[in-house]
Amino acid sequence: MSRYEFKLPDIGEGVTEGEIVEWNVSVGDLVQEDQPLLEVMTDKATVTITSPKKGKIVERIGDKGQIVKVHATLVVYDLGEGAGGRGGAATGTATATATGTATGTATATGTATATEKREQGPAATAVGDIKESLPGMGAYVPTAGAVASPPRSAVVEYQAPGGKALATPATRKLARDLGVNLARVRPSGDGGRVTKDDVRGFVAQSQHGTAGGGASAEFRGDSRAPGDGSVARGGTGATREKVSIPSAGEGREERVPFRGLRRRIAEKMQTSKNTAAHFTFVEECDCTALKALRERLKPKTEAAGVKLSYLPFIAKAVVAALKKHPIVNSALDEAKDELVYRKVYNLGIAVATEAGLIVPVVKDAGNRSLVSIAREIERLSTAARAGKLALEDLQGGTFTITSLGAQGGLFATPIINFPEVAILGVHQMKQKPVVRNGQIVIGDVMLLSLSFDHRIVDGHVGAAFAYDVIALLEDPDVLLLDL
Amino acid sequence: MAQMNMVQAINDALRVEMRRDPRVVILGEDVGKVGGVFRVTQGLIEEFGEDRVIDTPLSEGGIIGAAAGMALYGLVPVPEIQFSDFIFPAFDQIVSEVAKFRYRSGGEYPCKMVIRTPVGGGIRGGHYHSQSPEAYFIHTPGLKVVCPSNPTDAKGLLLASIRDPDPILFFEPKRIYRAARSDVPEGDYTVPLSVAKVVRPGTHVTIIAWGAMLYEAIEAANQAAGQGIDSEVIDLRTLWPVDLDTIIESVKKTGRVVIVHEAPKTCGFGGELVALINEKAFLHLEAPPVRVTGWDTPFPYTLEMDYLPLAARILPAIVETAKY
Repeated sequence: MSRYEFKLPDIGEGVTEGEIVEWNVSVGDLVQEDQPLLEVMTDKATVTITSPKKGKIVERIGDKGQIVKVHATLVVYDLGEGAGGRGGAATGTATATATGTATGTATATGTATATEKREQGPAATAVGDIKESLPGMGAYVPTAGAVASPPRSAVVEYQAPGGKALATPATRKLARDLGVNLARVRPSGDGGRVTKDDVRGFVAQSQHGTAGGGASAEFRGDSRAPGDGSVARGGTGATREKVSIPSAGEGREERVPFRGLRRRIAEKMQTSKNTAAHFTFVEECDCTALKALRERLKPKTEAAGVKLSYLPFIAKAVVAALKKHPIVNSALDEAKDELVYRKVYNLGIAVATEAGLIVPVVKDAGNRSLVSIAREIERLSTAARAGKLALEDLQGGTFTITSLGAQGGLFATPIINFPEVAILGVHQMKQKPVVRNGQIVIGDVMLLSLSFDHRIVDGHVGAAFAYDVIALLEDPDVLLLDL
Repeated sequence: MAQMNMVQAINDALRVEMRRDPRVVILGEDVGKVGGVFRVTQGLIEEFGEDRVIDTPLSEGGIIGAAAGMALYGLVPVPEIQFSDFIFPAFDQIVSEVAKFRYRSGGEYPCKMVIRTPVGGGIRGGHYHSQSPEAYFIHTPGLKVVCPSNPTDAKGLLLASIRDPDPILFFEPKRIYRAARSDVPEGDYTVPLSVAKVVRPGTHVTIIAWGAMLYEAIEAANQAAGQGIDSEVIDLRTLWPVDLDTIIESVKKTGRVVIVHEAPKTCGFGGELVALINEKAFLHLEAPPVRVTGWDTPFPYTLEMDYLPLAARILPAIVETAKY
């Protein structure tokens, strides 16, 4: 008998653990290579883990609902005589999709062929036999997930030469206390030494640098670090004592684990609020002309199978205004003290799902037509609600639009999708009395609530940006000039 | 309370203790009629007579050997070695006999004595009159080692030493024999052994020194203050058993250490202090501990001021350590 232990692969993006949603195999089963073994819900996505090898399952570790750590053994195989996967290298594949529902909507890729999987956009790939380290790599082990996920432009992972950081004992103590892997901290001290400030800055950066649903890639924590890695989980617990809610007694409360999407949202919101200097600007927008334009175009796009909401118009107006005010499309690289002016316009569209807020990204909105944007928004929101977004759909945003809908209130103070520097909240269009040419008439009025990071965007710049968006929406024909 | 220099304060201490305890006996080269080459024992032979203040032949081994015999028979000898450079002929007696008698005899025959001896350079004494041999004795189990930096401490520490049950090397920094002046209480008082003194509180760098170099350390600390570096200066007073608590408390606060001593660097007491600090305060260190010491050469006559770790050499070490 040849025994083989299959461990939960590192699916990348800083995922350290997952919850077993469903087992697809039982002890005693003969499984084929690539056959789905189980579904695991991480704090980012539900992942179907497929078998890296052909063999008989002799042990299954972990029950439904249980949390398993990355690199923990999941399944033990009996590979039989001379059996095994292709050659020596295990090639198990995990297909990840972000899921919006807490119940964990699994992907339908279990029985799909490899080709189909690629078409459906596998966002993370894992291999079955991950070594903790390899010769010559020092402390740095590139993970399959990190390789598979698209590189994030602003964050470049640092790795100390030879994997060994230079630091004084006191700095090492601080790093250990904060759960920081020193080899990942870019040094600023004499002779390439990592200073205490570098460590503190790294922690701050790690907490902030989690854009568009992506976990901080450079903050995996040090596997040798003690503690539960609470710092690695963002803003919670790093700087203040954790709040404890005393039990109200049996039957008087229900406690559910705070994890998954809800925890990610909490961390991101906290990071944004604790870092960006928010100010909010509210102004109204007369949408009479926009409404008429949409009514005219609607039948044409619907004939092409695309529903045309106001959102694509707003997206176009935002892109035009962003081009005029590039600072609003920027982000601050705190590690390098550089302002990054992004030359692509990736618009995050906030979508409310049962599980919570998700912000899929319309990539390259600057080069898309109205119809293309409409189609992409439709695809993304449908996928978000069905829990079928790929990780890459959630990444790379440069500006976010949040549609506040029918219950959006008079105005709001949206929280910036950090490290972006601005967010636009769109309120419901309502019929209101407006004064036009000295007459009170019924107009279609919409309020826009914009929040900016005042560290980067001054008040008058934010206002100018807002008025440009409004001008384009009030006179949408001008958008034609940008076609 | 009278202002005294080190010589007067030590003389006063001997007089106080000889009046108080008839077992106390002084012996050494020229300690009687001449009153010692540095005049530390001046006037004692007149008051206490030749039986208690004994001029000896030029034989350090003989002085300490005789003192050991006196101690074993219940006297309390306070032998003087004229210069600590001359202590080596007595090294065998001190290390092999005096330090070990209590252990050898199961505690029955403590060989308590206080070996007074001028130490250090800075008096144009050349290589036979300038050395700092404290490390040899700190290294030897069974001995205590004391080195005062001012008259007040010198008197109190000497009285405490004479009353201590163990043999003690009492190093008197000769460079400040007359330069250091302070108020010395009259009559009997002691300064406890193994208690260091923070003579200048600070937060950025800990400077450890003793004896004559303490003043150089303070001077360097004052100059460093002009560059915004707030140094804490510790006077060890007793070198062994060292007051580790005071050192560690300070290092935990500053994370940075500069150790100053006249003796050569290699295997000097500074090396032991660095090791102890690493053992006890490693995780607090912000910079490698630095030693500013004499060079690893014989003590030079002509280059005396280059050899000694004076303020001009301590200051850059403080700055580098603070900025590390």
